[in-house]
Amino acid sequence: MDFASIFNVSTLLNTFNTATIVILAGLGCLMTDQAGMMNIGIDGMMTAGAFAAVMGSWLCGSWVMGLVFALAVGLLFGLFYGVFVIRFKSDEFIIGVALNIFAVAITTFILRSIPGQTGSFHPATGAVVKMPSIDLGFIAGTRVNLSVMVPLSWLLVLLCWVMLYRTPLGFWLHASGEHPESLRSVGRSPERMKFLGATLCGLFCGLSGAYLSISYLSTFTENMSASRGYVAVACVIFGRSNPPLVFLAALLFSLIDAVGQRLQGVVDPTLTSTFPYLGTILMMVLLALRNQAKKKRAA
Amino acid sequence: MKKLIAAVLTLCLLLCSLSFAAAEEKSTPSIAIVVAGTLGDRSFYDSAKEGLDQLAAEFGTKTTVVECNEGAAVGYFDGLWTAAAGDPGKGIDGSDIIAAVGWQFYDDLTEVAEAFPDKKFLFIDNALEEIPANVMCITYAQNQGSFLVGYIAGKLTATGAVGAVGGEDADTINDFLVGYAAGAQYAREDAQVRFQYANTYEDPAIGKECANALYSTGCDIVFAVAGKTGEGVFEAAREADKLAIGVDGDQKYIDPDRIICSMVKRVGKSIYDVVSDPEAFFKGGETWNADMATGYIDVVYGTEDMPQQASDELKAEVEQLKEKIISGEIEVPTAFK
Repeated sequence: MDFASIFNVSTLLNTFNTATIVILAGLGCLMTDQAGMMNIGIDGMMTAGAFAAVMGSWLCGSWVMGLVFALAVGLLFGLFYGVFVIRFKSDEFIIGVALNIFAVAITTFILRSIPGQTGSFHPATGAVVKMPSIDLGFIAGTRVNLSVMVPLSWLLVLLCWVMLYRTPLGFWLHASGEHPESLRSVGRSPERMKFLGATLCGLFCGLSGAYLSISYLSTFTENMSASRGYVAVACVIFGRSNPPLVFLAALLFSLIDAVGQRLQGVVDPTLTSTFPYLGTILMMVLLALRNQAKKKRAA
Repeated sequence: MKKLIAAVLTLCLLLCSLSFAAAEEKSTPSIAIVVAGTLGDRSFYDSAKEGLDQLAAEFGTKTTVVECNEGAAVGYFDGLWTAAAGDPGKGIDGSDIIAAVGWQFYDDLTEVAEAFPDKKFLFIDNALEEIPANVMCITYAQNQGSFLVGYIAGKLTATGAVGAVGGEDADTINDFLVGYAAGAQYAREDAQVRFQYANTYEDPAIGKECANALYSTGCDIVFAVAGKTGEGVFEAAREADKLAIGVDGDQKYIDPDRIICSMVKRVGKSIYDVVSDPEAFFKGGETWNADMATGYIDVVYGTEDMPQQASDELKAEVEQLKEKIISGEIEVPTAFK
């Protein structure tokens, strides 16, 4: 087992590909986090988005419609979350958990009743049309084929950062969570801003699901997000809801994952799959230490 | 009006009972399969379901499927119990024969089987150490079939390196892998065989990562042994324009241009045989090793209208190897002690 077989172009490509799932979901999660709501229903929103994307792509025979379906369902889920958390002031954790359970159940139910398929979606007629990808040819012996969503997600990270830290809208969003009263005093409704956060969260999660099901793969399987939403939540906490930092956290996480896969020849394979989670714990410990140091300095 | 309604209802009832009477004409016991994961893998679990569908079509057998979703939806114990005792709340009737599909039921099967001494249990894909009288274990000689697809991979590889993605580091999966490696090395001595374990049977995205890792190190053929996770392997093959090999069911139709062949483990056929003729096939307290000699393990190449990567000569060589394995001339290594 040499260095080149563990760390090569394919490792990097894998890192970027899988990180995109987490980056997009992370952008969604940080929108609610900025507005003072902790949304752990990310995973469910992604599953719903993934399912809608596959359905749209298959029914209309176009990936654009898949994307539209995914965004629409993401929007619905975001509004649903918003209505309960903002309007009815329900506990955000309970609603998040409810969303996760609901999304898996409803997608499984629809999959089994309408196309009548169990477990995963494999149409007898027609096909799931995938999003376009950019073929960069062979780089060091590996065929590099990047989905358009990968660079797009990087652009979105930048846009979100600009929106959050360079426009009044971003400050209002932040204030709606931190100081709703001061926002109200300047004549802005914190509720409305929170709704904006929840809606954006739904949209980004829908996008993340669509990337997973009609770009990275071309099928839907039950519970497809496989807890990647929780990873996104961890990245948001680690990146303090700052888009570029969340982006880096997601990249780091995916890199650990990809390297872990490739270390199976050296390390016991049951252990390598724990690497990403060990990575998460390590990240959290680092964060706690940093916060403590900050508090000491302040004191 | 009331009388009319009463008359209609009586008629309905009569019709219902008539239709039930028609369905009662079955000649086979009812069967439930309890799968450790979920259906839709187009592989191991779906193969078991095919056996059920065939029974239902031919004999009108009452069939039930309980999915455990790796213990997340229903615990393994509860799944077995539901299949045996029934669950009126879910509209599930207890079945006469319960097939536990997946090695994961190892810890719970004995207890459930002992609680229902008058029902028959099948343990698919694993063997208990002490088998109760109403349980029959069915194991499959997957190493033999894997040897053949390993041979095909060894003959077709251009790089001399072939890979396999396993669901997890467990005996049953390793039995595939050691057979595969032996086959590839039988075809060419210098063949390099690399493995990746996905540690899940339900996540195609991980399967794709694993396959990409293998393809990037020079493997040009990857054998997917990971249920639904294997779908990701085929996705990776499509993107990298490399080859893959399917498992458990005939998976070539998924991507005829990239899937060379599939190593099939006829789980459905073994369930079908036991249920359609329990007296001949059910042997309580025993382990039945379904192997190549009895036709439960084989290599298939899809249908004839699909492009074939394996030449007719290669297929003929595989047939010869098959005979050598059946006669015992070639002894395929196994992961089971």
